Amino acid sequence: MLKISREDIYTISQNSNWSEVGVRTILNEKIYNSSADWKQFLRLFFISLGVVFSIAGIIFFFAYNWASLHKFVKIGLIEGLVIVATVVALLPKMNTLIKNLALTSAAMLVGVLFAVFGQVYQTGANAYDFFLGWTLFISLWVLVSNFAPLWLIYLTLINTTLILYAEQVAHDWSFIYITLLLFILNTSFLVFFIFLGKKISTITIPNWFTNIIALAAVFVATIGISIGIFGTHEALFWVLLLLTAIVFGLGVLYSLKTKTIFYISIIAFSLIVIISTLLMKLSDEYFMFLFVTLFIVASVTLVIKNLMDLQKKWSNG
Amino acid sequence: MDKELNIKEIIESIQSSEGENFQYNEAAILAEYKKKDANKSSLAIKILSIFGGFFATQTFLGFLAVMRLFESEVAILTTGIIFIIAAIWLSKTFDKLIFDTLSISTYVTGFVLLGVGLNGLNVEENPLVFIILVVSLLTILVNQTYMLSFIAIITISSCLLAFIILNKSYEFFHLYNISIAYTLAYIILNEAKIITFNKKLSKLYDPIRIGLIFSLLFGLIILVNRKMFEMPTSFIWLSSVLLLIGVMYLVSQIIKRMDITNKKQQVIIYILSVLVLSSTIFAPSILGAILIILLCFFVNYKTGLVIGVTALAYFVSQYYYDLNLTLLVKSIILFSSGILFIVFFLFTNKKHIANEKV
Repeated sequence: MLKISREDIYTISQNSNWSEVGVRTILNEKIYNSSADWKQFLRLFFISLGVVFSIAGIIFFFAYNWASLHKFVKIGLIEGLVIVATVVALLPKMNTLIKNLALTSAAMLVGVLFAVFGQVYQTGANAYDFFLGWTLFISLWVLVSNFAPLWLIYLTLINTTLILYAEQVAHDWSFIYITLLLFILNTSFLVFFIFLGKKISTITIPNWFTNIIALAAVFVATIGISIGIFGTHEALFWVLLLLTAIVFGLGVLYSLKTKTIFYISIIAFSLIVIISTLLMKLSDEYFMFLFVTLFIVASVTLVIKNLMDLQKKWSNG
Repeated sequence: MDKELNIKEIIESIQSSEGENFQYNEAAILAEYKKKDANKSSLAIKILSIFGGFFATQTFLGFLAVMRLFESEVAILTTGIIFIIAAIWLSKTFDKLIFDTLSISTYVTGFVLLGVGLNGLNVEENPLVFIILVVSLLTILVNQTYMLSFIAIITISSCLLAFIILNKSYEFFHLYNISIAYTLAYIILNEAKIITFNKKLSKLYDPIRIGLIFSLLFGLIILVNRKMFEMPTSFIWLSSVLLLIGVMYLVSQIIKRMDITNKKQQVIIYILSVLVLSSTIFAPSILGAILIILLCFFVNYKTGLVIGVTALAYFVSQYYYDLNLTLLVKSIILFSSGILFIVFFLFTNKKHIANEKV
């Protein structure tokens, strides 16, 4: 079988008199999605829409807060749904995707359950304990499911809990402290997942998943440091700076070792933003604006050139 | 080198199917490969250069503002024109990835300065937008590099939208959406025809495709937020009906692709599709997103597919958020559509398993 990419077709057709019919045939045979691809796509499309719409319907139903519905009926209904979803996830005959989707639905329903519980019994104004409860009670499912979208929901919940706790309860936490915590949290999860994927060969961790966590960690560090540069330099700022430096250094090393340019790209971009902020802090005269412009163009260009060299080296090596 | 061997094999196989008339320039093909190999891009690099370009544009405009250079209109206008020409020259002459950041920031800065300068010289809004549109069109004619063509395409569509909003001729929104959607569909479904037409068009194919997807999204996003522009809703169904026809045409193509020859099955698919899709008659944006998803999956264009799915999620949630019904009615509609989709899934899944057993 001949391997041909879209790029090959473009390059050859641009430098030959390859006929339209010929190009069309090869695109249909080698590039476009086949009948089997369509079947798989439609199945995934329908089940995702189905689950998302149903869950949204259930959430809206309880948000309506039907007054004539007795509280036992309300809570009972959701608990019933949680049980149904969990049972579906346990059925041995179901395929893995459906099981995982069922468990994800159950995890979302637990959130609805706590919300309705809070609504019925007026459990107070702090939203963080709602998220904390939700997070704690789905932990086991998240662990056994080994399903990236559910893990992503879980990580979002943990981050939300932490942010809300800082906002509503821990008023004395400084901004730097919160970013430091979030940075440590997300970085730890990233490291955990990377090692998990390496150690246990049966678990495959999708790239988009680790990339999102890495992006979150780098984003938090960049914002924290950039704002910290303009603020009072408390001791924690230096901790964040040191920790970021270590993590970024390790990230670049890891990137080089595994031949993935993603980590290097985001780390480089973060550094460019941080250095530009520092330069602006030093002076806000007109020449500094010009200097920062030149710095950004030059540094991004340099980074791209190096990334391309790396790519070339890796693909030939 | 493996790659070179592979290309030669590919060319041989094309030769055998195309017959004696097939002529090619082997040296040019190999040279092109060498150049592409040296400029191999990835999504991360593209995004990096775009972000870098825009950040640099901002700080440079900051520099001009602090320098009080904005006070002389003629100076601003001249600088703008010089910047645009420089950007086009730069990217045309070097056409290398590492110059992308520089040419993007120069190009966008040039446009901003052009606009500010013209505005300062008291040029009316309509001619101003028209000038920007012409400059973007010229860019595409002279320059076929990826980044500048992409930016030029979305500038052109933004100019068209600006015309509609400035003149409050909101009926043209539907014309805009429909013509962009149909052009996009034509371009995506006739890839072979366009890339074999001539070299210029073939090089423009990628930036036009992604540029049109973004242009369509701009139009659809404005349609969703029509309250912000105090836009009348009277002709909203027109967009929907025409988009629906587009989607149904695509359904017929998909049926062909999936080899569904059974007439009864075909009829059922058509009827169900029309029924489900006509529920979105007041939400043309949802239909537009579905069109993007189906088109991009059809030709296996992954970036477009991801954009389409994201757009669908946004449009659907915005639709239900804006819907003027009680939460109870909303919940019933959502839940029953959810069940309907699960039934569709079970149906296709059953077919799937039955097929596998045979």
